[in-house]
Amino acid sequence: MTKWIRWSGLLGFAAIVGLLAALLIVALPWVIKFSIEFVGTRVAGAEVTLDDVDITVSPFGVELTHLQVADARQPMQNLLEFDQAKADLELAPLLIGKAISNELSVSNLQFHTARSISGALPVEDETEDVSSEPSAAQKVMQELPSAEEILARETLKTPQAAAALKTSWTDNSSAVEKAVNNVPDDKALKQYEADIKAITTGRLESIEDFQRRKARLDALKKQFNADKKAITDARDTIQTSRKELSNALSDLKAAPGQDMAYLKDKYALSGAGATNMTGLLFGDEAAGWASEALYWYEKVKPYLESGGEEESAEEGEKAPRLTGEFVNFPTSDPWPDFLIRSAFITGPLDGGKLKIEGRDITHQQAVTGRPTVFTATGVDLQSIGDLDAQLVLNHTLVPGKDTLTLTISDWKMSPLPLGVAGAELASSRVQLNAGAEVIAGSLSSSAEARVTSARFTGNGQTLFAKELNQALAGINQFSVNAGANGPLLTPDISLGSDLDRQLQAAFNKRIKAKQDELEARLKKKLNAQVDEFAGEYADELKQLAAMDGSLQDRLKSLQDMASTQLESFKEQQEREAREKLEAEKAKAKARAEAEKKKQEEELKEQAKDKLKNLF
Amino acid sequence: MLTFLAKLLSALNSEASPGQVAFAFALGMIVGFTPFWSFLNLFVLLIALMVRINFSAFIFGVMVFSLLGYALDPVSIKIGETLLLNPDLRDTWTSLYQNEWLRISAFNNTLTLGGLLIALVALIPVTLVSRQLVIQYRHRFMAWMNKLKIVQMLKASKFYSLYNTFAG
Repeated sequence: MTKWIRWSGLLGFAAIVGLLAALLIVALPWVIKFSIEFVGTRVAGAEVTLDDVDITVSPFGVELTHLQVADARQPMQNLLEFDQAKADLELAPLLIGKAISNELSVSNLQFHTARSISGALPVEDETEDVSSEPSAAQKVMQELPSAEEILARETLKTPQAAAALKTSWTDNSSAVEKAVNNVPDDKALKQYEADIKAITTGRLESIEDFQRRKARLDALKKQFNADKKAITDARDTIQTSRKELSNALSDLKAAPGQDMAYLKDKYALSGAGATNMTGLLFGDEAAGWASEALYWYEKVKPYLESGGEEESAEEGEKAPRLTGEFVNFPTSDPWPDFLIRSAFITGPLDGGKLKIEGRDITHQQAVTGRPTVFTATGVDLQSIGDLDAQLVLNHTLVPGKDTLTLTISDWKMSPLPLGVAGAELASSRVQLNAGAEVIAGSLSSSAEARVTSARFTGNGQTLFAKELNQALAGINQFSVNAGANGPLLTPDISLGSDLDRQLQAAFNKRIKAKQDELEARLKKKLNAQVDEFAGEYADELKQLAAMDGSLQDRLKSLQDMASTQLESFKEQQEREAREKLEAEKAKAKARAEAEKKKQEEELKEQAKDKLKNLF
Repeated sequence: MLTFLAKLLSALNSEASPGQVAFAFALGMIVGFTPFWSFLNLFVLLIALMVRINFSAFIFGVMVFSLLGYALDPVSIKIGETLLLNPDLRDTWTSLYQNEWLRISAFNNTLTLGGLLIALVALIPVTLVSRQLVIQYRHRFMAWMNKLKIVQMLKASKFYSLYNTFAG
């Protein structure tokens, strides 16, 4: 049997294996360094550098020193860096190209550290689209123009009504003036009275005298009729003008009210502009956090496979040539292509330490049958009471399900610029509970933050800034609810809070005050316009009314005068005879009564004398 | 270095009977039909070195069957897949899978299992056929081959003279 064995061959085998092992150990650090930098750079889209890689023999493992991953979005900043990472590697799986580590420890992991040189890759320049679109805050500010701006901007009824009044007055005043000129004045009326008195008083001496007076009276009456017509025409003209001017004046007086209603409707700051103040105040911050989370998730996502997806790929596609596929079977010690059973990562955070523990980190969870779980805990943090987070990437089934839960208690938040009108949340304490779930590319997340001891400050000088600061000053606690649901890359984001309600109430109060102020100023200005146009004409209109009354009196006087009649000569004679007869009768009656009274006195005296004689 | 290599090859190629050449050539089929960088092939290399067979024939076999295997891979993969996904064999594979060394052999790889199976089935026939071919070659074509200029040039090289020295 031994004649078939070639012992020198064993020596050759040992030499070949030894040579391969030596080559591997010598070349492996360089291969690892190159692989991490090359693959890392492709994945991160920015420079990835590793200072050194060492291979440890017992236990077999790898040690990485000072890894820096530049941030593609900000090349002068690292996305992350750490001082040292140590990982043991199981030798047996490694022989078939599977990197399995029981324990990975990373020390001094830091995020967003500054770089001395740019980590940008020499690719086409990315020109950032700096949008000059006005912010929501500016839009709100635009809704609060000054009274002057509004009056200059709007086509209002008040000036139009004033102009209409002026035109009406111009047209009517000449007609009135012309009509009034034909009306007899007071002096003429007095002369008429004197003439009539002269005609109608005094005894008619003869028929000729009567006829002469009558002719004069008839001529006066004719004149009266002409004057009456002139007065009637003047009154009609005045009344028409009064009616037109009254209407124009009414329109002018009503115009400011209508304008105010229109302006209030158009510029109504009913608080609608402030209904989503949470979005306005925290929108950028929330978007920043969401963007950061999405950035990391998108980096990790390509390496997350669900078991079913893998199987369906197996069924649906031909296996690649020359490599085949590994079919895995149930075992307590699964060997995916890459696996870190436990990872312990520490890094500075908020004056304390952030401890991250990872379990079953692999991109082939279908092989391990267990989800990848990361838990993060804050230790001795300065501004945060407790921080606990858990990320579960479960792709053992189809569809995969990734879940994040985050709890932060008593977080003394550093000043948070609100990005609006120079306002900032100067200090506050926050209790935060957040959860997110991604299933089949669909995101469902919610977060609830209770903010207490809130203190807002701001030094903005614009109208909006002042109003915002006034509104914020009265708020010291509020809650914020955020949600993002829908497709992962384009979820519907909702951001609400009772800050909205509080702010809206405060805003409404402030806006009401501003509205009243604005309204008063607008009214004042509109009334000034009304006064300017209508004041003069109102007086004129009063005068027209007075004139109308005066003409009425004159007309009555003329009518009275016109009704005066001159009696005929015969009538005068009969009247005189009647008066004489009446006078004679009265005289005779008075004489008879005096006689009768005298006889009665004499009888009384005789009776007294007889009585005296008896006694 | 050349001396060491010539010495090694001379020792490895000293086994030049038709059977030793034919088996070495057929053994190269396992490497050729399965993924090259595998623990299984390291084991095959160990056999090729330790067993008294012609190593040059083994290397030649690896090259020839690698080319052939390139075309045969889809069939190998299909066979491996059929076997590994066969429910009746699942328990067997599962128990084998628990053994770390067997897992290192990558038996659960569709190409490895399929290629290995084809190679093992063909091993004896290929050995027998190859043996006949070696005999026929030596009897009919070797003299003609030795007259070829390229062969003469190779034989005139320093490496060949060193090889001959150690081969005796």
